[in-house]
Amino acid sequence: MLVSVRPLRIALAQIAPRLGALDANLERHLTLLDEAREGGAGLVVFPELGLTGYQLQDLAADVAMRLDDPRLTTLANSTTGMSTVVSFVEESADHRLFIAAALFEDGELRHVHRKLFLPTYGLFDERRFFAPGDSLRAVPSRLGAGIGIGICEDFWHLSLPQLLALDGAQILINVSSSPGRDLAATNEVGLGTATSWRTLMRTYAQLTTSFVVFCNRVGVDESISFWGGSEVIAPSGQAIFSAPLYDEGLFLVDVALQDVRRERIALPLLRDERPELQVRELDRIIAERAGLALDSTAEPDAEPGFDIAPAERPVPIREVGKAAR
Amino acid sequence: MTDSPFELPPELAIDTDVARRVIAEFIRSQLRQAGFEQTVVGLSGGIDSALVAYLVAEAIGPERLHAVLMPYRASSPASRADAETVVAALGCSSELVEITAMVDGYYGTEVGAGAAGREPVPASDLRRGNFAARMRMAVLYDRSVVRGGLVVGTGNKTESLIGYTTLFGDSACAFNPIGDLYKSQVRQLSVAIGVPDSIVRKAPTADLWPGQTDENEGGFSYPMLDRLLFWRIDKRRSDDEMDALGFDMELVQRVDRMVAGAEFKRQVPPIAKLGPRTTGIDYLYPRRRPGSARV
Repeated sequence: MLVSVRPLRIALAQIAPRLGALDANLERHLTLLDEAREGGAGLVVFPELGLTGYQLQDLAADVAMRLDDPRLTTLANSTTGMSTVVSFVEESADHRLFIAAALFEDGELRHVHRKLFLPTYGLFDERRFFAPGDSLRAVPSRLGAGIGIGICEDFWHLSLPQLLALDGAQILINVSSSPGRDLAATNEVGLGTATSWRTLMRTYAQLTTSFVVFCNRVGVDESISFWGGSEVIAPSGQAIFSAPLYDEGLFLVDVALQDVRRERIALPLLRDERPELQVRELDRIIAERAGLALDSTAEPDAEPGFDIAPAERPVPIREVGKAAR
Repeated sequence: MTDSPFELPPELAIDTDVARRVIAEFIRSQLRQAGFEQTVVGLSGGIDSALVAYLVAEAIGPERLHAVLMPYRASSPASRADAETVVAALGCSSELVEITAMVDGYYGTEVGAGAAGREPVPASDLRRGNFAARMRMAVLYDRSVVRGGLVVGTGNKTESLIGYTTLFGDSACAFNPIGDLYKSQVRQLSVAIGVPDSIVRKAPTADLWPGQTDENEGGFSYPMLDRLLFWRIDKRRSDDEMDALGFDMELVQRVDRMVAGAEFKRQVPPIAKLGPRTTGIDYLYPRRRPGSARV
């Protein structure tokens, strides 16, 4: 197996997109792509919805693009000799709107990931405006490594990084528009959101023995401040680089892709994964949760999918009726 | 024991460096997105508006901050002196607009009736207080046109939650940098940013009559109320859990009622849904988007 011993230079474009200003954001992307190329970057990563801004609401339809949109072609044409991940609102042929991240390499569109998990709780309202994607693929890249892309909330679901790694990714890329919140003084770096993300990303890198590249935006949309703090984490779970919180910038980070091989031989977690066991147990759990199969380990009165019976047995509706008579 | 100027419940302590960073960028973004350079802040002499003035000065420089002092005849001279201390410390521009003639012109005085006519019972302090708050709002929005600036809100999270605000009065603003900070956190941030000690230490007051303080009027202490709201609202604690945390359950119920009763003050008034697209319901755009900035 031949992996270049030259380090891969990753450029993290921790930018503050302007809400709804597609042309201005496109210009900014093109400028930064040039800057990254001059800086010797082989992989340039922009944040979630970097071309449009995040809090779009009804603007989503106005800034949506088909994949053959000339503006995306312009971007693609600026990726000669580079791999680039950019994010925008994608409109499908049947007019669904997706939060998408595309991998462009050497002027070609290599892969589009449509955000799978759309947070619609708390301060989030994504499902109201967007459709969720329904497939996940790791793809080969000109970097000589498999790439797996997730968008923000996608990585708050355990299965995502694991599926990407099992599918051949050695570099897991998460592009985000993560709103910072919880300033409790007890938090690492003074921000609860940063503490949570850092914990997750280090864990994923270690458990999948892959590089994790996290690119989060900065700036303000309406009430929300995005916290930046983009990172590159080695397959050992060690952070190689942590960008400052809230500062805009293009950050260059060198990584040795051979670290993936070293880590996977020293710590063969991925070798020892049991996907067939997972599929078998998941099939069983899905059937039990749907009430189609009996859970042999559940207490007799437990609801489907929940092993513990309620402390007080609820009175069935028909018995309530009887009692009234 | 150190001579702390206030009591800060440990669970409410925030990282003030991060807070200043976020708020500064928030202020700059609000102005940039709206196409404004200048700001207008009503300075009462109290800690909330003092902190907002300091935050705005830190974010965009004191030369882009205009302070308006709007005392009523019953306002304490000490409050005005404190507001003047803030203006002098920051080096921002300021002006004095006494609202006495506006309030008295409506309610009248012993000498004669006002625009409201002669009433059998003199207007209560509550009515006068609300009216004064709305007169200050009117002055600020007028000054904002003269100055070409946005009115920056100065209400904190505690008073917003319990409804200790005047609808379309002190709560009216273009944006609010401290509306998600409890009073205790306002105090913590004020100390960090250098608001004068005398302002941090004095008892918070709506300054509607001599000797009035929020805590006497409401029958609570801010550290206690802030802790209660934090656990109840931010941390979603149930009755049983609040009890186990040692809160006075009568106070918990009373605060629950205040919070629920003030819901209307925190929301845009409902519009009767009639057409295909109704603002705020199914016409949902960000406040600031391409084309929305003043040119």
